[in-house]
Amino acid sequence: MNAPGSISPQAASPGMPEKQAPPARLKVEQASYAYSATDRDAPLFALGPASFEVRPRELVAILGPNASGKSTLLRLLAGVLPPLSGRVQIEGVEASQLEPRARAQRVALVQQESALLFPLRVWEYVLQGRYPYGRRLRFESQEDCVMAGNALAQVGAEHLRDRWMDQLSGGEKQRVILARALAQQPLLLLLDEPTQHLDIGGKVELLRRLRRLADENRYAVVVVTHELNLAAEFSDQVVLLHRGKCLRVGPPADVYTRELLEPVFETSLEVEISSRGRPRVILRGNPEADSAGLDDSSVPEPS
Amino acid sequence: MQPLTIRRIVLTCAVLAAVLFAVSVISLKLGAYPMSARDVVLTLVRRAIGHTDAIPSDFRLVIFGLRLPRIALGILVGVALSVSGAGFQALLRNPLADPYVLGVSSGAALGAILSLVFTPHVPLAMQGAAFLGAAATIAAVYFLGRRGGQLDSATLLLAGILSASFLSAIIMFLMTTLSGRDLRGMAFWLMGDLSTAPPDWNLLGSLYVVLLAAVGAIYTTSSDLNLILTGEQEARHLGVNVGRVKLVVYVSASLLTGLAVSVSGSIGYVGLIVPHVMRMLFGSDYRILIPTTALGGAIAIVAADTLARTVVAPTELPVGAMTALAGAPVFIYLLRRRLP
Amino acid sequence: MAGSPIFLVGLFYWSHLKRRRGSRNLLAVAAGLAALGWAALVLAALGPAVCAAQNAPTRVVIDETDRKINVPAEVRRIVSIAPSVTETIYALGAEARLVGDTDYCDDPPEAKTKPHVGALLNPSFEAILALKPDLVISSAINRPETVLALERLGVPVYATDPRSVEGTVDSIEGLGELIGAERAGKMLAAQLRARLDNLHRRLAGRPPKRVLFVVWEDPLISVGPNTFLADALRQAGAESVVETTQDWPKLSLEEAVRLQPEALVFASAGAGTKSDDYDGLRERPGWGALEAVKQGRIAVVSDALDRPAPRMIDAIEQLARQLHPEAFGAQEGKR
Repeated sequence: MNAPGSISPQAASPGMPEKQAPPARLKVEQASYAYSATDRDAPLFALGPASFEVRPRELVAILGPNASGKSTLLRLLAGVLPPLSGRVQIEGVEASQLEPRARAQRVALVQQESALLFPLRVWEYVLQGRYPYGRRLRFESQEDCVMAGNALAQVGAEHLRDRWMDQLSGGEKQRVILARALAQQPLLLLLDEPTQHLDIGGKVELLRRLRRLADENRYAVVVVTHELNLAAEFSDQVVLLHRGKCLRVGPPADVYTRELLEPVFETSLEVEISSRGRPRVILRGNPEADSAGLDDSSVPEPS
Repeated sequence: MQPLTIRRIVLTCAVLAAVLFAVSVISLKLGAYPMSARDVVLTLVRRAIGHTDAIPSDFRLVIFGLRLPRIALGILVGVALSVSGAGFQALLRNPLADPYVLGVSSGAALGAILSLVFTPHVPLAMQGAAFLGAAATIAAVYFLGRRGGQLDSATLLLAGILSASFLSAIIMFLMTTLSGRDLRGMAFWLMGDLSTAPPDWNLLGSLYVVLLAAVGAIYTTSSDLNLILTGEQEARHLGVNVGRVKLVVYVSASLLTGLAVSVSGSIGYVGLIVPHVMRMLFGSDYRILIPTTALGGAIAIVAADTLARTVVAPTELPVGAMTALAGAPVFIYLLRRRLP
Repeated sequence: MAGSPIFLVGLFYWSHLKRRRGSRNLLAVAAGLAALGWAALVLAALGPAVCAAQNAPTRVVIDETDRKINVPAEVRRIVSIAPSVTETIYALGAEARLVGDTDYCDDPPEAKTKPHVGALLNPSFEAILALKPDLVISSAINRPETVLALERLGVPVYATDPRSVEGTVDSIEGLGELIGAERAGKMLAAQLRARLDNLHRRLAGRPPKRVLFVVWEDPLISVGPNTFLADALRQAGAESVVETTQDWPKLSLEEAVRLQPEALVFASAGAGTKSDDYDGLRERPGWGALEAVKQGRIAVVSDALDRPAPRMIDAIEQLARQLHPEAFGAQEGKR
């Protein structure tokens, strides 16, 4: 229903009539976390408190420089880490208190790929996503196969079904990994920097696909990413983190301001608004150097 | 898309079991004592229908007192070594892992040496002490191999290799300072030997019970292992209790290794290669890999042992020599196939 | 062995069958047959223990390890699993009744033509059974497990275990009585004892030579005082210079030089040099510092010295002649 490019209408504007706003699938309330070497030391790193909500069909991007706490936040959302304070709820249930299999039926966390040790076919890999359903030692049922097939179709990788995993290209592998996550039939899809090893075309394709999955298949998607402009282009909300603090939550247009972004990324930049109303970040840095529009390197340039 | 079905597993295992049966029957016929195939079949049939007295006593001795127990022992060792090899390859996330990589066989060898010194003529003392040595090593390496309360593959591998080296050094020290005469038995044991006094059936029965329990325990984790092999974090996020699975596999695989090593010494290559061959034939899914590896290992050991005792009869070669002779070329072949 | 090619062909065909979908039923049938076969094998295997029948009249004998054995009254078929036993049987003139020996029984040379039963540490039980022996004779060189296993198969095993030279002579006499060569045994034992007495008389009053017996050169390994070899050395009028509790102590050359033995003793089949060229020892580093080497006081004897059988006495005499030549009327001098 939400066409890509438009801003989600909920909650932000008080004057609007209360449409059938779907309840928040993921609710984060003042959630925080801290790492310390031992229980008695001061925390080495602290995150939060952060608050935001994600609804079905929304794509939320978590942005920030390195070591800003993005991955920690993602793991809080996944229920892997229990929040030190506050709550993280998935459809009303506290995420970290769910039993692992029950949690896996609700949340799919797509991590950066690790190398496979032994040869595996694509369909075998995707079928593994059905693990949370059924007994521990299980043999896949007809239904499992249908679900796995659907997952592959959703990412447009059906033709890859009988191929070996280690023969896939980077983009194809990314799609298959995504398909395995979708085979879990999750309510919430979490991705941790999925575009890292992809070329520019691949990055765009992935974000487009995620957008389409959110729109057409009603997933709630949260993506941790460095890609400022892609996030601006495709997401409904952006969560901006800086050194563990949640600076701003809101639609891209609200968050992408020069005042906010420059100190966070420690590089001089400019923000433009495109014809479709989406902000675009242009890095300035060294005045003599060129800077391209979609060149989203977050390496701070010496100013 | 054809998912793995129980039917496919059973059928594949049935075929392998038939091969094992054929190999065993051939092994029953071959040996330094001349027997024709007809003699073998008649002896078996007569025993099965209860006409034991009609069997010439020599045939009875050779078949039921020598060859059949040896085959049974060979099957036990083959299953134990190959399944534990497959288990360790998953646990350590390392295709080169074999049952001895964590030092269990060195611990068993140390136990065996100590028993040869202190209780030289007590029957089965060597096997019992070997198993105790294996168990002690298992416990020690477990505690060394933990990180954050859970078994960590890299730490475990390091702890195992260090233990193996340390124990080997102690063994070497003992062998040079102790009287040379008593340790002749060790030579065979170190090379892998099924020719020592064939055990009695009661003992074999209990060993088989332990074997089936341990293999069964590993089998119940096979779905989990499939996931863990694509990444531990990913497996956790899919709901796998990774810590528990690792513990079960560690204990079971180590038990299997200890069992095999204490009855037959160190037989190499089987635990490393049979899982890889079965992967090539039937795929990497552990739900089919475990049973096929078990049967494949049994076939390998029975065949190797038959060769070991017939190739230059009446001289008997150690089984470990046969598995090494056959195993090394197979290993090289496997390595080359994996390279792109 | 005619059945085996059929088996192989069957196996080959089988693996071919596996690939064809249409033969699933055939596979199921084969699997069922195999299952039946397994059940039959397992049933056949379980059941009362197997033991051999003994028909001939027997007598009870106690062997040298204090085990009680049932031996047939007339021993007609003997298998020896130790070279020393084989040699003794030949010396007793009973070789006609020796039906099998080990791969390593090489003394006398005719022993090599007897049917073999395998190696010393793991002889083939099947080969032994195939020879249908009345009695198997072992020595200390065999493993106790071997003896136990043969017992369990119902084969009587007489274990010899001579610990000293004199014990060996007694053992030879006992062996003669065991296998029905009592007179030959008594005569041989008397001869050997006479030779030993003769030797003692010749050597009476002479201090034993301090020697280093070289079991292996590199690393240097000698013998401990509790070994059979040490006793043989004593009989030959020698005393090992190495003080140790181990049976096969390893020394450094420095230690050997410190001990400065009066002579070195080598047993010819196990000394580890390429040829019997012991004069070359002078040039080797470290060895040249030994007085015994410098003065050529090196005795070489046959390796029968370590085998508890009649020729051991020959070797002892040979050694005594080399170490105490003056006791035998020869000139003392360089070898």
